[in-house]
Amino acid sequence: MLLSQMEKRQHCLICKLNLEESLAHRLEALGMTEHSKLEVVNRKGKGTLIIKLRGSQYALGEDITKNIEVEKI
Amino acid sequence: MKSLHSILPHHTTQNKTDLTIGFIGNPNCGKTTLFNAFTGANLKVANWPGVTVEKVEGAIHSHNRNIRLVDLPGTYSLTSYTMEETVARNFILSGEVDVIINVVDASALERSLYLTLQLLELGKPVVMALNMMDIVLKRGMEIDLHRLPEMLGIPVIPVSARKRMGLDILLHAAIHHQGAKTPDPIIHEHKETFEHKHDHHQEFAMVYSDFIEDKIDQIIPRLQEKYPNLINYRYYAIKTLEGDHEISSKYPIDTQDIFPDGKNFEARIINEKYDFIDDVITEVLVNKERQDKLTEKIDKVFTHPFFGIPAFLAIMAVVFILTFNFGDFIKGFFEIAIDLISTKASDYLSSLNASPMFISLIVEGIIGGVGVVITFLPNLFVLFLALAFLEDTGYMARVAYVMEGIMKKLGLSGRAFIPMILGFGCSVPAIMATRALEHRHDKLKVMLVTPFMSCNARLTIYVLFSEMFFHENAMIVAYSLYLIGIVVALIVCFILKFLDRKGSLTNYLLIELPAYKLPDLHTVSIYVWDKLKDYLSKAGTTIFVMTLAVWALLHFGSNGFTLSMSDSFGAVVGQALSPLFAPLGLGFWQIVLALIAGIVAKEVVVSSMAILFSVVNANSDVGMQIFAEQLQSIGFNSLNAYCLMVFCLLYIPCVATLATVKKESGSFAYVALSASFQLVTAYVITFIIYNTAGTLFL
Repeated sequence: MLLSQMEKRQHCLICKLNLEESLAHRLEALGMTEHSKLEVVNRKGKGTLIIKLRGSQYALGEDITKNIEVEKI
Repeated sequence: MKSLHSILPHHTTQNKTDLTIGFIGNPNCGKTTLFNAFTGANLKVANWPGVTVEKVEGAIHSHNRNIRLVDLPGTYSLTSYTMEETVARNFILSGEVDVIINVVDASALERSLYLTLQLLELGKPVVMALNMMDIVLKRGMEIDLHRLPEMLGIPVIPVSARKRMGLDILLHAAIHHQGAKTPDPIIHEHKETFEHKHDHHQEFAMVYSDFIEDKIDQIIPRLQEKYPNLINYRYYAIKTLEGDHEISSKYPIDTQDIFPDGKNFEARIINEKYDFIDDVITEVLVNKERQDKLTEKIDKVFTHPFFGIPAFLAIMAVVFILTFNFGDFIKGFFEIAIDLISTKASDYLSSLNASPMFISLIVEGIIGGVGVVITFLPNLFVLFLALAFLEDTGYMARVAYVMEGIMKKLGLSGRAFIPMILGFGCSVPAIMATRALEHRHDKLKVMLVTPFMSCNARLTIYVLFSEMFFHENAMIVAYSLYLIGIVVALIVCFILKFLDRKGSLTNYLLIELPAYKLPDLHTVSIYVWDKLKDYLSKAGTTIFVMTLAVWALLHFGSNGFTLSMSDSFGAVVGQALSPLFAPLGLGFWQIVLALIAGIVAKEVVVSSMAILFSVVNANSDVGMQIFAEQLQSIGFNSLNAYCLMVFCLLYIPCVATLATVKKESGSFAYVALSASFQLVTAYVITFIIYNTAGTLFL
């Protein structure tokens, strides 16, 4: 499923980043690597999320979250 | 500061620098607070040569050495994707820097280690400053300070920049690490055995999989052959494998067999680094899941899908209430001083039988004009303080999230709202902040509407005119102007989005939300002092010169010096243009002249009007009364005052802003285009308000 579809307080594993290279590498540099674990802290609209990744929190826009494939856990 | 070191003044360049230390770390890691703790406010701020990236330097004397400190831009990694990262890594690789202090937020250790591993690969001596240890302890997390240095091969010094703890120890460690050629002893535990030709585990903290190490071994001899003068071939080999743009174009080699699919291995290399980071964290961090309870509680409100925006509006309202009330309180004292000075000066000069022209120049021109500008310092102080406070606590990042929904509808990312917020302080840093936006057309869009965010200079106009004509409602009137600015900006963005269909996917929101923290007073005060100094020097130079120029324009006519301004050259120009402004309720030559002068700096609108109506200390209660009466006598009432404020809000911004737009856009044509657009917008909106509000309210 897509990251943009995740609800508040759910956890998931990252499967694939379908984004342009520099943006994908930016996210990977923050630790969003394959199989990394992520928690959705808050959400609004159609997929603007606040996530917790490797101990830090980030706000992600819908344009990013709808292009990230995840596996819910 | 402790007695162990003293701060060198800037000008002792005769003292040789014994050691240069570079500070680098993630954004929000407290690097600047730490840097300031060493250097004090004694900073030299410039740009890195050839680029618009800020370089901050300081100098201290400690342990019998003259030490130069350089603060590098906050960054999450060292790729060649942004100017900040390229500048930072090239500086580190240059011969200029001796030791790197990697400032790490101990509560974000996991992610911070990624930059650390990249720094280690650069091959320069690194010392880790593990900052915010007090927060880590409070949360109940623990970090094994014995194993962490062993796994990385570098000294790890716990510090608290805010509490000024560990600073001398950190400096001491950095000094002792100067010239370190090899890492400190590295002791890992390994899950698998490596059958690799070279056992790198004593040489490098970060050792990759056999697959990658083999490729590195293939690349190094090629680099050595083609570029025999490089130091640290491993670094260049890794960068080549990542397909790094800068390195691949500077030091190309034959890589056909290295990249069988034509794709580079950047993703794999990043993943392997994080695999190692996972090992380190497992070994070193206890209770890593502990969160900051306070941040969670506060964010329940501030990032609430429904309450987020009202909370933001409420906070901005508080800021403005403080700016008016507290600021005015302090301002009272300034006014008394200015009054005293101008009376004394006038009396003194008369007693010397100075010419009327000279007295007018000193009292009305210099003291009257510039004095008014300076009396606004208290309001500005409060505004800058509030903005710095919001930024330092971490709230500004939440603003980007909260505004994302609305910003997206306008074709911008939530992140674009931050330059706009800064615009409430001053358009110049706001336009500089558009650098954070990746794509040029976003930058241009934001630069176009940022001046509509009413800046502090315009505040001087509102404070004066809303108090003069609206008395108890002054605050509401001023707040309404801010709202009009925001609404106009949003409408313009919306129209632009409609016209520019292709732009949307390139706008994305990606911003860290750091844990909330109390602002560090030292950092905030340095920031505020810096901004006030900027404002004062602006008052000292541009506005001063312009005030005098306007004074001259108004006191010299075809018959030489005149005390009656309606005979001056200025009146001629104003009268010629005033018919153009009559439909806006601004058809008064004095107003037109002040507006023209306002292109130099918005504060000049106030100071030149003070001169035009011969009002000294226009900001005092008495001064305002006289001023209001003068204006009303020429037919200028509350509606006209409101239209004046609206026009000032929207029309051509000051020269400092125009110069910054030129610098950030690189195009004179764009400056002309945006200025014309703003002028037309001002004209249209003021026209509408004058002609409709007139019938609605009067």
